[in-house]
Amino acid sequence: MELAWGGLYLIMILLPAKKSHPLHALSRSLRLDILEMINHAGFGHIGGSFSAIDILISLYNSELFNFDKDHFILSAGHLCPALYTVLAQKNKFPRKELLTYAQFASRLQGHSNLETPGVEYASGALGQGLSFASGLALGDKTHHTVCLTTDGEHNEGQIWEAIAFANKYHQGNLLNIIDYNGYQLGGSTADIMPLGELASKYLHFGWTVTTINGHNFFELEKALKKAKSSTIYPACIIAKTTIGQGVSFMENKFEYHDVKQLPEDIYLAAKNELQKY
Amino acid sequence: MNSKNIDTKSIRQAFSQSLFDLAVKNPNLYVVDIGLRPSLYLDKFALRFKSRFIECGIAESNAAAVAAGLAASGKTVFLTSFACFSPALNWAVIKQSICYNQKNVKIVGSHAGLMSADLGATHQMLEDVALMRTLPNMEVFAPLDAVEMAKMLPIIARSPRPSYLRLPRLSTPTVFPKNLSFTIGKSHLLATGKDVTVLGYGPILTQLFVPDFQKYSLDIINCSSIKPLDTDTILKSVKKTGRCLVIEDHQKNGGLGEAVSSLILSLGIKCKFVHLAITDSFGQSALNYFDLYHHYGLSPLAILEALKSLLSKS
Repeated sequence: MELAWGGLYLIMILLPAKKSHPLHALSRSLRLDILEMINHAGFGHIGGSFSAIDILISLYNSELFNFDKDHFILSAGHLCPALYTVLAQKNKFPRKELLTYAQFASRLQGHSNLETPGVEYASGALGQGLSFASGLALGDKTHHTVCLTTDGEHNEGQIWEAIAFANKYHQGNLLNIIDYNGYQLGGSTADIMPLGELASKYLHFGWTVTTINGHNFFELEKALKKAKSSTIYPACIIAKTTIGQGVSFMENKFEYHDVKQLPEDIYLAAKNELQKY
Repeated sequence: MNSKNIDTKSIRQAFSQSLFDLAVKNPNLYVVDIGLRPSLYLDKFALRFKSRFIECGIAESNAAAVAAGLAASGKTVFLTSFACFSPALNWAVIKQSICYNQKNVKIVGSHAGLMSADLGATHQMLEDVALMRTLPNMEVFAPLDAVEMAKMLPIIARSPRPSYLRLPRLSTPTVFPKNLSFTIGKSHLLATGKDVTVLGYGPILTQLFVPDFQKYSLDIINCSSIKPLDTDTILKSVKKTGRCLVIEDHQKNGGLGEAVSSLILSLGIKCKFVHLAITDSFGQSALNYFDLYHHYGLSPLAILEALKSLLSKS
């Protein structure tokens, strides 16, 4: 009997959980969309878009939130390619419009902008979104406000001002999800400005914290549910992710924080890998 | 120009009283404060409207974006601090979270200009008008005195656009005619004449309300709406006088004088022009701001000399 249970446990470990989740197919197709739009524009923050996409898919396809009423604030505006693919998937605008990304007169700007249907906050300068989300959560207590920040963004002092503020005002309707991929433009966050024990820092500031694998939809769903149930304390989800997730040669490479025109062979190799993701 | 028995009143106190009166009527009005509640006379507001007084502590950047978020939920939001901190330390937050996101926040910067005399250069904000008038979507206002402040506040509160309100620290003469009202984008002729157009904003203009100036025939225009600027009234006056004097307790760079000179030049109007302002330097401490106005060439004496030079034949 013990052996049998042990065998089952082994199978659960060996079967990558992400593959069995119904949202996994979407994760593959939106990754391909991100690649297409960035390749078409010859510009874009590809590494972070691949690390954040599963968080966004989970949020927008969960029954926990309705972003026609609840609020989503993208604080790290450079991750907009990922957000645009999710908004297109939710029929906020036609999917073919993704190919206008960053072009002149496009509704899909190089950093998020209010012209894009479904975008509630225009960002690009880091560190401001969590404060904005706190103000919004304070003004609209009947709904939830979810903010997406990054680990690199925690270099900004303003983030810490917002963390203290949300604690003071007992913002149980505020959730900050951190796309913690360990890299920023010029290298690893540990080298550039180490965050140390980020979870305990949030805890000491009076937040609830859950650390998860940000590419595992089961974990994401569970963490979102837990965060939503926190009614007094602001909630933080530290989503451990991989920069460039899905394309082996982009993974854990800060050089893929942002790209210019991709060489044809790189583009094809990335596409090939993502099709099998 | 009545020079006798001019009252002095605090514009700051007029601001806080008007804000309190508005908050009684408008349950949607919020204050986001940056750790300077007593200095802006907001104790009464904070006590009476506890849930609508949001204290952010000494954290200007967070406060500006919190204010923007509150505005996004439909509130009328006043963000209060000293001008040297807000809109100075949080300029990029104001640019992105307030202006670019089109959020209706009223930024109130007190203690602006050299009038914060004893506090010294760090607290004498001389660049705020420049910082704010360059931002798209932002309106910029500076009341002449306590009377205009009280008239201005409900109108600014009703405006759907973000704005910056520049307040001085001290009690200053009240000269604003009681029968006039404030309109965004409109100026007031405080005196009419034919020789020189005098433009300015804030209490520095009240220096002209002394007998020394009564022998001159001046159009004195109160540009309390710095942006949008009342270009019609200004142009009509300079076309008549052919002489223009701009006075401001602010850097020359980026101030009202630059806006007006560019306006006059771009239309090819022939006009002698003098701009009295701080010329690319920092302020300094003094126990009385008159000493600073004298040192930086903003005193009544400097104004008289400017008028003489404008009226000279050369």
